[in-house]
Amino acid sequence: MWLDDPLAMSTARTRRRAEVAHVYRRLSMGPQPDLVADTRTADDAIARALDLATPAATPPAIAPPVDDEAARQAGQIGTPIAWWVDQMQQSPRLIEERLVWFWHDHFATGLQKVRYPYLMWQQHLTLRRNATGSFATMLKEISRDPAMLLYLDGITNTARERNENFGREVMELFTLGHGHYTEQDVVEASRAFTGWVVNIPGRPVARLLSNPAWTSAFVPSRFDAGTKTLLGTTGALDMDGALDVLLARDATSERIAAKLYGTLVGTRPSDKTVRRLGKVLRDADYEVVPLVEAIVADGGFLAAEARNVRARSPLEKLVGLIQAVPPTGTVVGRVGPRGQSPGAGNALRTLGYVPFVPPNVAGFPDGSALLGPHQMVHAFDLLSVYPTAPTVPATVDGLLDRLALVDVSDRTRTVLRDEPDPARRLALAVTAPEYSVM
Amino acid sequence: MAVTRHFDEVEHSRRRFLSGAGVVAGALVAGHALSVWGRPLAAGAATATATAGKAAKGRTVVFVELAGGNDAIDTLVPYTDPQYRRLRPTLAVDAPIDLDGAVGLHPGLVALAERYRAGQVAVIEGVGYPDNDLSHFASLANWWSAEPGSPGATGWLGRYLDRAVGYDDPLAGVVVGPGPSPALVGERSFATSISDTSGLAPRAPAWLADTDDLLDTWARMGSARSSRRTLEGKVRQAIALTDDARADLDRALRADATGDDAALDPRADAADVSDGSATDAFAVAARLVTAPSPPRVVYLTRLGDYDTHQGSAARRDALMTDLDTGLGRFLTTVEAAGRADDVIVVTLSEFGRRAQENGSGTDHGNAGTHFVIGARVTGGRYGAPTTLSTLDSRGNLPFAVDFRQLYATALGWLDADPEPILGKGFTPQPVFTT
Repeated sequence: MWLDDPLAMSTARTRRRAEVAHVYRRLSMGPQPDLVADTRTADDAIARALDLATPAATPPAIAPPVDDEAARQAGQIGTPIAWWVDQMQQSPRLIEERLVWFWHDHFATGLQKVRYPYLMWQQHLTLRRNATGSFATMLKEISRDPAMLLYLDGITNTARERNENFGREVMELFTLGHGHYTEQDVVEASRAFTGWVVNIPGRPVARLLSNPAWTSAFVPSRFDAGTKTLLGTTGALDMDGALDVLLARDATSERIAAKLYGTLVGTRPSDKTVRRLGKVLRDADYEVVPLVEAIVADGGFLAAEARNVRARSPLEKLVGLIQAVPPTGTVVGRVGPRGQSPGAGNALRTLGYVPFVPPNVAGFPDGSALLGPHQMVHAFDLLSVYPTAPTVPATVDGLLDRLALVDVSDRTRTVLRDEPDPARRLALAVTAPEYSVM
Repeated sequence: MAVTRHFDEVEHSRRRFLSGAGVVAGALVAGHALSVWGRPLAAGAATATATAGKAAKGRTVVFVELAGGNDAIDTLVPYTDPQYRRLRPTLAVDAPIDLDGAVGLHPGLVALAERYRAGQVAVIEGVGYPDNDLSHFASLANWWSAEPGSPGATGWLGRYLDRAVGYDDPLAGVVVGPGPSPALVGERSFATSISDTSGLAPRAPAWLADTDDLLDTWARMGSARSSRRTLEGKVRQAIALTDDARADLDRALRADATGDDAALDPRADAADVSDGSATDAFAVAARLVTAPSPPRVVYLTRLGDYDTHQGSAARRDALMTDLDTGLGRFLTTVEAAGRADDVIVVTLSEFGRRAQENGSGTDHGNAGTHFVIGARVTGGRYGAPTTLSTLDSRGNLPFAVDFRQLYATALGWLDADPEPILGKGFTPQPVFTT
């Protein structure tokens, strides 16, 4: 680049801005436009995204429900969703928000079956507390988390009558991955996970429990105390003992490393990279931040072929919208089956992307699953976050800046210029092909 | 949906029922002459696939998902069973429509009874899955994935669409209901989901005004040079595909079977099926099925709330009437359009309900009774005949026919091999005439 060549300088600047926006899209839940404007280089953006110096925001205080009936009012999930989405769009702890969502998707637990919004909220706080900490600690806490115990039937898994739901999923989805265990390992692990209950006030068994309401507890009489042999390790394994066996396998650390690489980089890591990153995670005693640092330091992270290879999810689109043009009223609102309500809650529901409500144990859809006609058409529904036409920057460039869209095709620019109404222009911009990828 | 699950159900949700092959075979031997359903397969099933052949072109299956757990016992009423009035002291159906001197249909199911007498209804009794889980969520996940016990991320009809259609035709599978169904989620295909005759239209805020205009503009965005191998290129393709699907759907939904736009049924046009009305959903389905290129699969989801823990008698009667009205009109429309030989209707529900009423309703049960309806169906009763003297350990109609046999039969109608979709051991059952 020649310092006296203004065109070359401007091209270089554009390239740097594109890189900065890319880094923020990957390492946070959405690029905050002011941050993109203030950050000079990709390295600065990485440093800023990984900076956890600012203390975490205090979550809203949500009182435990008095009884079973009060606890089931589905409307109570509204506050947690609204607060969480607000954190996604404005928390200064960028990587934390990316990871909190990643872990929710990884340990997918759904309100549809758990039915207690309060317990979903408690699980969220557990994920948030551990999101940038130790995966090993998080796995152990989630395994005895009340919502998880309800979701994967841990509370019906007893010495007398085994339920293998959690025992299977913990190996297939949360740790080793398919093909790294046998059916007998599912049996043995499930035996080790027996004995856990949840104190839900008003339920018959609650009277017999001494742990506080809405917490889980280990009840020795329900536990299978016998000897188990899990993946070659024999002993009187209990929950943590079994989880330690799973954590000791390379398959677990390598699977977590590969999955996080896929999320943060967007491409498939080579086998060699997976082995290297798995070792990083193990050597760090499963601390997540060293793994994140190793992933962003990998040559693949800023490589050209990693640009725009991920489909932007409906939730990431909503976060981007809120960041670009802050809504004045209710952001999420009621997420209900019927009727109109303010906010984008029902749009997320239509699109199958409501936090706390993953479609199944495998988590939220991604990739091509986000490109079906239903998903494409109802992307426009996200504009419901504005009850009336929002105030949008008057120029196309001003709008694209707010959306952190740097490389936009001439065709898209032409369409946006031809639309005279800035608010309708916003709707077109966030459904454009360029905005649908990240 | 009122998802209410009692503590005892949670505590014991994995109790084992009659799930061994031997037990099922026994039930079949004791059953009706027509009973060929169950696993392992009866040898006679082999003739069934011959029914399909090339004739499957242009065929459609309409699935009707009765969400919440439909009560098999008050749908196909064992009214001559001495246990019936004892188990259902307040709920018992007064005047069932007799089918064979032993059982009758709920009095609201008038059109269904007529079709039965015409030999067009296969009644499949005892349908469920092994190790029944009484949770709605877990049961639905099993039915949607057809992988009971460990449901994966894809739906069974999604896997069918993956193999039969791929990404090319997003209208090969159309869900009618408030949102997409996990049953139609594939890995290499798209299904479309609509909630009314407005088809693929955004539910955008009022200030966006003319969304048709926005959608028309849509396809002009994105780099014309973007390769189809890049994700952005795929998005552009998806937009084009969506535009085509929107236009095709609009043509199908706005015209009646004769292609006459003026003959619109105004009620169906205005209908928003998100309130769960089967009548409205069937009206939308009738338009899809009588269109020039009908979908292979139409899936009516979340119809009504069949989770009748309380207020059951009145609620149940209303649900049955709504279902029957929709079904009756649908079948008449399909006949009038000359499509009767190409279309079958199959009912689904995640489980049946407890035989013993709870005072004002019924709790979650095990096996259900389902219907395969169509002009090419060989009518009659199949499966394990409903009897209230041999309930399972929890007082439910026992599981006898694996639901995947029902699925395999529907796949056979579509000329698809069930094995890659459902796994081994499930084959189309011979309920269709050639």
